[in-house]
Amino acid sequence: MTHRIVVDVQTGEVTQVEYTAEEQAAYDAAVAAQAEASAETPAETPVEPTNEV
Amino acid sequence: MSVTLNASTSSGLVQTADTSGTIELQSNGTTRLTVASTGVTIGGTFGGSVITSGTAVASTSGTSIDFTSIPSWVKKITVMYSGVSTSGTSNYLVQVGSGSVTTSGYTGQTNSGGGISANSAGFIVCNNIGSASLYVGSVTILLFNSNTYVESGLVGPTTSAASMATSVGAVTLGGVLDRVRVTTVNGTDTFDAGSINILYEG
Repeated sequence: MTHRIVVDVQTGEVTQVEYTAEEQAAYDAAVAAQAEASAETPAETPVEPTNEV
Repeated sequence: MSVTLNASTSSGLVQTADTSGTIELQSNGTTRLTVASTGVTIGGTFGGSVITSGTAVASTSGTSIDFTSIPSWVKKITVMYSGVSTSGTSNYLVQVGSGSVTTSGYTGQTNSGGGISANSAGFIVCNNIGSASLYVGSVTILLFNSNTYVESGLVGPTTSAASMATSVGAVTLGGVLDRVRVTTVNGTDTFDAGSINILYEG
């Protein structure tokens, strides 16, 4: 499970809070969307050096 | 439990005692100052300028770090990055909130050699992120008036691999700021190095 860190500045207590099922589902969807968008991005075409003077 | 000294509007001085090692100074039953073994806590408005350090936490896991229970009298918060890295290249984001984290209505921008990124869901405090770089710097959030806060910051990598970023911004909350979230714009990159802390003052 994904989590966030929560710090209570008045007590100094540090807590690791696991995502709720709803938050985890949103996280998984966001990661999948990012992967899909990344796959759709065409690779850059290499530019041949011209060696022009 | 604690020892209490209460300036009551009906009974004058009212005191209670126990063996907790904590003492509270109260105004008509409302605690305004608590002295405990862990330090001093102020309730309500505070007219001083004591700088209080939060707890530095390792930014080595999780998608965000929330600093909560920031006292209502606070007028200045400094967020500090020390050798911070994330799993991806999403821009670094700082959000604030009152009761919950505010995720819209931020104005301003961050600007680096990688270009300009406009604020929206939070204060973007660094862009053009290198996944292998460690980031240092600080971001200051000031109470402008009412519940409007302004931000400025300098955050950048520890090497010259990329340029540092300057940032400015503003947001109006629905109430008094009580929390700060340190995260990334995409919300899915995870912290994998360094530590983060805040200072706050009245």
